Amino acid sequence: MNPFTYSRAADAPQAVADLVAKPHAKLLGGGTNLIDLMKMGVETPAQIIDITRLPLAQVGELPEGKGVRIGALARNSDVAAHALISARYPVLAEAFLAGASPQLRNMATVGGNLLQRTRCPYFYDPAFPACNKRNPGSGCGALTGFNRSHAILGQSEQCIATHPSDMCVALAALEAVVRVQGPKGEREIAFADFYRLPGATPERETNLAPDELITAVDLPANRWAARSHYLKVRDRASYAFALVSVAAALELEGGKIKTARIALGGVAHMPWRAAEAEQHLIGKPPDEATFLAAATAALAGAKGYEHNTFKIELARRTIVRALTTLAKL
Amino acid sequence: MSTNALSPLILGKPMNRVDGRLKITGAAKYAAEFSPTGVLSAFALTSSIANGRIAALDGAAAEAAPGVRAVLTHRNAPKLKQPKPNPMAGGGILNELRLPLSDDRISYGGQYVALVVAETLEQARHAASLIKIRYEQSAPVLTGKDAPESGDKPKKNNGEPAQIAKGDVEKTLADQSLIIIEQTYETPTETHNPMEPSATVAEWTANDQLTLHDATQYVKGVQDVLAQTFGLKLENVRVLSLFVGGAFGCKGAVWPHQILAAMAAKVTGAPVKFALSRQDMFSGTGHRTPTRQTIALAATAQGELRAIRHRTETLTSQVGDFVESCGARSSGAMYACPAITVEETVFKVNVATPTFMRAPGECPGTYALECAMDELAVELKMDPVALRVANHTAQHPVKEKPWSTNHLLEAYRVGVEKFGWERRTPEPLSMQKDGMLIGWGMATATYPGYKMAAEARIRLAADGTAVVQCAAHDIGTGAYTVLTQISAEAIGLPVEKVKFELGSSDLPYGPVAGGSNTTATVGSAIYDAAEALLLALAKLASADAASPLHGLSPKKISLAAPGRLSAQEDAGKSDSFAEILKRAGQDFLEAKGEFKPPLLFQPKVAFQSFGAQFCEVRIDPALPRVQVTRFVSVMDCGRVMNAKTARSQILGGVVMGIGMALEEETIYDRATGLPVTRNLADYHVPVNADIPDLEVHFVGEPDFAFNPMGARGMGEIGNTGTAAAIANAVFHATGKRVRDLPITLDKLL
Repeated sequence: MNPFTYSRAADAPQAVADLVAKPHAKLLGGGTNLIDLMKMGVETPAQIIDITRLPLAQVGELPEGKGVRIGALARNSDVAAHALISARYPVLAEAFLAGASPQLRNMATVGGNLLQRTRCPYFYDPAFPACNKRNPGSGCGALTGFNRSHAILGQSEQCIATHPSDMCVALAALEAVVRVQGPKGEREIAFADFYRLPGATPERETNLAPDELITAVDLPANRWAARSHYLKVRDRASYAFALVSVAAALELEGGKIKTARIALGGVAHMPWRAAEAEQHLIGKPPDEATFLAAATAALAGAKGYEHNTFKIELARRTIVRALTTLAKL
Repeated sequence: MSTNALSPLILGKPMNRVDGRLKITGAAKYAAEFSPTGVLSAFALTSSIANGRIAALDGAAAEAAPGVRAVLTHRNAPKLKQPKPNPMAGGGILNELRLPLSDDRISYGGQYVALVVAETLEQARHAASLIKIRYEQSAPVLTGKDAPESGDKPKKNNGEPAQIAKGDVEKTLADQSLIIIEQTYETPTETHNPMEPSATVAEWTANDQLTLHDATQYVKGVQDVLAQTFGLKLENVRVLSLFVGGAFGCKGAVWPHQILAAMAAKVTGAPVKFALSRQDMFSGTGHRTPTRQTIALAATAQGELRAIRHRTETLTSQVGDFVESCGARSSGAMYACPAITVEETVFKVNVATPTFMRAPGECPGTYALECAMDELAVELKMDPVALRVANHTAQHPVKEKPWSTNHLLEAYRVGVEKFGWERRTPEPLSMQKDGMLIGWGMATATYPGYKMAAEARIRLAADGTAVVQCAAHDIGTGAYTVLTQISAEAIGLPVEKVKFELGSSDLPYGPVAGGSNTTATVGSAIYDAAEALLLALAKLASADAASPLHGLSPKKISLAAPGRLSAQEDAGKSDSFAEILKRAGQDFLEAKGEFKPPLLFQPKVAFQSFGAQFCEVRIDPALPRVQVTRFVSVMDCGRVMNAKTARSQILGGVVMGIGMALEEETIYDRATGLPVTRNLADYHVPVNADIPDLEVHFVGEPDFAFNPMGARGMGEIGNTGTAAAIANAVFHATGKRVRDLPITLDKLL
């Protein structure tokens, strides 16, 4: 672990001011990802700004029935158990409970969950010389190495890592809005604009500026989220990252699909919204043939590698199963 | 003199662990928790290549970093003596023969190339990151295919034959009138991953006196190897290992870290703590070699085996000699068969040195053989249990000696009944329920009865309490508890009056906690010591005019009740241990005992435990992750010493087998040779949700030919046959025969 200095921010403006003053600083929330990476020497911040005392842990209704706001420091376990979430956005509660372990969920914050780094053994273990994310220009060890957990959608030759979050897959389906505060004040980032594909700059995973603090996540009100579901497929029954996961929602009217949302986890550098698949469902009956066609559309551009090609078929099946489950609700 | 009078009171009872309270309150101190005054922390830099040499190394920045006291590399490490331990004669075990930091060669990924010693662990870890190394690198050789010329066929392994040639296997396999099957099965590299990573705290209390707090399965072995390596008298090396947080074999040998800790303490003149990281555990303390096993079976239409050919390829390192005997320990010991060939070929690769891992040989061997038996049963359209019953053998098929006791047929019967096997429909895919595929599979489990050498000392105090000592180990097995029970039984005292001490090289000799031998070996030494103690007590009483037993021949005096001796011919005449000692004016009475099997242990019978494993799996056909939903183990291990800890041993073995069948795999990167999955996020072991209620039953009778307790070991047998029972259940559920472990869902898509 590299030497670093530690400070504690009293409020959001101070946290932002500290970020402006120390360009190589990192914000500390639950620490469940950052501390691991620091121990391994992957993250080497010069300064840690502890934001855990900031009053950003509330979960509450937005005015005028516009939805629900989740504070950035709300603990994953608290949000999962919150009545507003489980009643209106079951996909999100299910996604939280499918992630990590109870101990980690008790520590991990919503803001930190958004910012957890993509996973790849070649990134997490600095003994591997090749990792464009850790060491831009050094190559990608996973491309011809062990790539079972890696991306099949949206990847580049520079990076095939996957985003590990379950929460974020649900947020992508729910069209959440990330609220951030920077030196010029507050702004909102649509979820679809928050993450970046690896392209030629895999070291940059989000469009958050280095001097910005996430303060909250807003879940817009809608008609369809009450019929939503998260399905995670992994190598063991619990406590494993998704091989493939699906967050889905369906609104049915007159025996036809009126609205659909599908997002995939474990398949890309970011939570992967499957917009074409959603379009494919609109106006069709909620049956297996429709679901299979939508799933096929979702994976149309998928590309596998030596050890992860199975994910393409697995993702198809997981989409079909998630939608079938929803149609039966 | 009979010493079994009190047995129903103590042995076999489901007694709670005597160290349970210490463990759950955190009072049990593990090796890494010892911090002598002034202790320094060590952190190792490990090689990022697997084959080559260190061309340049610059440690200046590390040496200058805050808190750093030493940076040890091959260039400045003190030269040590090459130890030559002899485990067959009670010496230590060395699987990795090359001494750490002894030259610039790199022969596996993750090899220690420098050890930084600093005031804190964080300082040491940071300084290690400042060391600059340039390697001359060659492509790593990672598989047998890449190194065919290195293939060695060892004649013996740990004193037992590694190759077997009985009968004419080739001729039988060519017999067209027989049913022949041949298949290849593969198991991956597995890493032990005990909860507690290895750790050593080394302290030189004088120039020639070394003390180690060490997480080890063999304190006397560490003492032996460290004494040789540092040129010390045996008694000048103390090794303490009172509690061990799991081991499974990876703490049996001496590994480079113990030597490095002692070296660092010598160089810095301060105690040094070297606690391995989880990453270090993937190359620093061994693993189970991957295996490729090709099995051919020939059988009659009635299912009687006529030939078994079991060919195994395994790997070992460039700097070690460990061999895993898969065929000899499964096909060479299980079924009646007139012709058995076992071949073992070992290739040398650029991977760290493998070692014992719970049932080395038996575990992967029974996986392959018991899957092949299942395939044969399918081919014969025969029930898998019936096939095994048809091939039951009344004697060891290779040694051709009768079993001491064998209740395998009873184990099958009880397993069939408890599991409800009769309700199984044999066709694959035939037992679906609620859209899920259900599969039932079974396999035979086996593990030999091993015993080694041990000494025990009993100190009986005048207050009627006793302390019993042996340098044995409790690696989470329950040995503290079981050895306390055996001591109480053998001496004739209530268990709460007996304290058992282990885990220190100061104590009388104890064997490695390996080969499931502790109970049998140490228990035998305890019995010998107890016999001597009771005889000494009887002599004291007989010679004492004030004793009701005065004048009786000591041979006519025996244990009648806890803490009391009485005349065999007149139970009314009795005397208590405490009174005998008090009147003799002795505060205590000491007795020693030992157990030494002959160097070449050649009894007239074969000691072998057997069992039957029955498994149910549930598989979602679309998303086919295998979930084990029921598991029934029925074991014949002689007499059960403690119903609770015995059950736990089998449970642990089955859980490990579930991990082997479905999850565990250490992957090596082709380009660098480094283990890719060297953390517990990427190397999966079972979590609670993977484990159903496991049922354990014991059958059989005490094996008094084996030892006075009648017990055979239980540490390893639970991990045999397990993976095969699961793989066979997966076939029954899906109709797909996956022949390479682990059975992850992608193999069933």
